[in-house]
Amino acid sequence: MIDAMDKAAGISPDDALFSTRRFRPEFVQGAEECRLSVLKPANDQGLAPNLRVALARRMAALNADAALLDEYDTQLAQLDPTEQLRALAHGETDLEEPLATIARHVDLVTLTPNKAEASHIALLTQAGLNSPQIVALSELIAFVNFQTRVATGLRLMRSA
Amino acid sequence: MISSVRLKPLTWHPYIAPVELSEATPEQLEAMKVTPSAKKVSEYVRTLVHDPESYLARTVLFNAIMYVEGGLARSDRELGALGASMVNGCKFCAVVHARRHAELTRSDDVVTALYLDRPEALGPRDAAIYSFARRLSAAPSEATADDIAALRAVGMDDAEIIDLIHAISIFGWANRLMHILGHAETGK
Repeated sequence: MIDAMDKAAGISPDDALFSTRRFRPEFVQGAEECRLSVLKPANDQGLAPNLRVALARRMAALNADAALLDEYDTQLAQLDPTEQLRALAHGETDLEEPLATIARHVDLVTLTPNKAEASHIALLTQAGLNSPQIVALSELIAFVNFQTRVATGLRLMRSA
Repeated sequence: MISSVRLKPLTWHPYIAPVELSEATPEQLEAMKVTPSAKKVSEYVRTLVHDPESYLARTVLFNAIMYVEGGLARSDRELGALGASMVNGCKFCAVVHARRHAELTRSDDVVTALYLDRPEALGPRDAAIYSFARRLSAAPSEATADDIAALRAVGMDDAEIIDLIHAISIFGWANRLMHILGHAETGK
């Protein structure tokens, strides 16, 4: 059975790459456990699953990852998003707080992590996020940026 | 003759208060695998354990990617980690993994070439790995099928390329924690 990474990379069970990936069961299972820990955690720290999927959709778009964008679009549609969450997912910046601050942070860390400074974490605190929320948001951002790179690498292997 | 670059380790400090062991929940203690009487748990671990579920899942995956037996040589994984960390601007991670690369290869040559911005001094295998690491780390990715072809041309098989993709990508993750949530300093 294919998993989320196979799906993002367009791999089916009869592809050679499907079997090659499974030489590393720790990577396959580990990536899936990580995905669940940031998108469907048992304790969401007050960052609801539909907010998390909306942010993932936004980051897939920033990374120009059409397959992940489609996937997160589908997931978001099933989570009954508000107008604000839909706007957040679609890259808009004119949003209510704390979504506007969260969106700016997500864009910065996704596209230009080298430009991040202490003041950016202070902005999250000022917008009302507590430490567990700041860490959970950081892990979500970092995961989607990991996911798109593994999927991109696998797609390139298929086409090379 | 260029003198070789020898990097000193940096220390990392968070921008938010780490979890104090005396106040950690049972789930946080379990995730850190420590008892409340343990003295030395790094600030990094105690910061990330604010969200124990993601901390635990990521730590398991990170250790598998960087340390699992067989497949891609560990020094090649470190070179992928170093290339990613340079693009993502995580000085702390770059120094850690540059030093590991130098230890594993018993040579400062590659680290010297990269820190002096002379990638043309790399051998063909290191050059293919480093170039792919940089291009895959760009946001959006700038890697192409030619990068994969270059890795195959220097003798890497598909299992090794998958190992390398994971080593680079997990630093797309780790750099976005360490460089975002804290800063590196020289000395203690």
